[in-house]
Amino acid sequence: MSIVNAPGEALAEMNAREAQFDIDGLFRAHYRRVARMIARVVRDPARAEDLAVEVFSKLWHNSGAQGDHVEGWLYRVALRAGLDELRRQSRRARYERLLSFVRATPSPSTPEQPHSAAEQQERVRSVLNALPQRQAEFLVLRSHGFSYDEVALTLNINPSSVGTLLSRAQQSFREEFIKRCGQE
Amino acid sequence: MDRNNSTPLSAWVEERLASLAPGDYWEPDSAAALARLKRLHDSRSWLGSRWPWALATAAVVCLVLMVSPSPRVLAHRCLECTVAVWQSLAASGPTRADLKPESARTLAPDFTLRDATGKELTLSSLKGKVVLLNFWATWCHGCQVEIPWFIEFEKRYENRGLVVVGVSLDSDGWTSVRPWVKEKKVNYAIVIGSDSLAKQYGLDGMPLTVLIDRDGKIADSHSGIVNRAGTKQKLGVLLAQ
Repeated sequence: MSIVNAPGEALAEMNAREAQFDIDGLFRAHYRRVARMIARVVRDPARAEDLAVEVFSKLWHNSGAQGDHVEGWLYRVALRAGLDELRRQSRRARYERLLSFVRATPSPSTPEQPHSAAEQQERVRSVLNALPQRQAEFLVLRSHGFSYDEVALTLNINPSSVGTLLSRAQQSFREEFIKRCGQE
Repeated sequence: MDRNNSTPLSAWVEERLASLAPGDYWEPDSAAALARLKRLHDSRSWLGSRWPWALATAAVVCLVLMVSPSPRVLAHRCLECTVAVWQSLAASGPTRADLKPESARTLAPDFTLRDATGKELTLSSLKGKVVLLNFWATWCHGCQVEIPWFIEFEKRYENRGLVVVGVSLDSDGWTSVRPWVKEKKVNYAIVIGSDSLAKQYGLDGMPLTVLIDRDGKIADSHSGIVNRAGTKQKLGVLLAQ
């Protein structure tokens, strides 16, 4: 381990590390998966792409994250960005509902609103939003095809506890879903 | 090692979560996103390399503004103008000298304090004169608005028997007060007071102005910036008594 004792050396080391960092390769390898994972959580795919780019930009500027566990960092930060956006969207939707109630504008929905896939997505998102963030993270990663080891790496936890924690998250999801939408 | 053991619970949950999967028709535009990322990086790098300069410039500007007397003078003038406008509006109604009736007046708590020259000043020795007692401090902006008025009152009514006394409550005493008084050319007596004296006069906010009649009794007590015209009128009544 080298001891850096001058600011100039530290800066030079940072620049060298940044030069070695292959953002293009990392971007090509992971962008699609990151963007699609965020798109599961947020409603708007374009917004999901924006968030994904922001996550890569953060990674580029954060030399501390560009180590051996860069992929874990990338998916963890992307997932949290998506869940934060979901919370923001839900809050906004709540205010808008309240505002439309105050203004007494007619609801845009038609009397015969079909039971659509979009409705199901909204239900699932509202349940995810209601869960503790950690549990939502487990569920999204798993549904996005992450193996137990990948989940452990992304969430920085012991692989042996993934099964228990995931099972708890699923239990919470089902309870919250039934509470909100009833038994299907 | 993957434990993809599917239980009824996990199957139930996964079935619902699967509804969130973006359709195959949607593909993120990687090329456009990479170009956007590079633009974002360039703009941040530009800002990143300049922020120490921007910070240093901002610090220098702030320092110049703090040291330069002009912004302070300007702020003081703004405060004076605001007070003058507010008081002229307040005075548009009927103005009366709202002094306490003589029967309700109580004796002003006596004190003996030294002025800037070291000469003792005892309140009770001023009996027979009208006293304008003003509690103030160099850091109190409201006080600084009304002190020029007291200078004017002292000049105008001194020969009719008015004595203006400024009681400073600056914690470091003459260190702050002496240069300030010299700079503002205060023409009336200034003494350094104490919290206990302020308490005796019921001070709950600065400035506090107390008008004492010729019998040494409190005729009026006002917390906050006084109304210039109203105070002049009150002094006229007290000096005529």
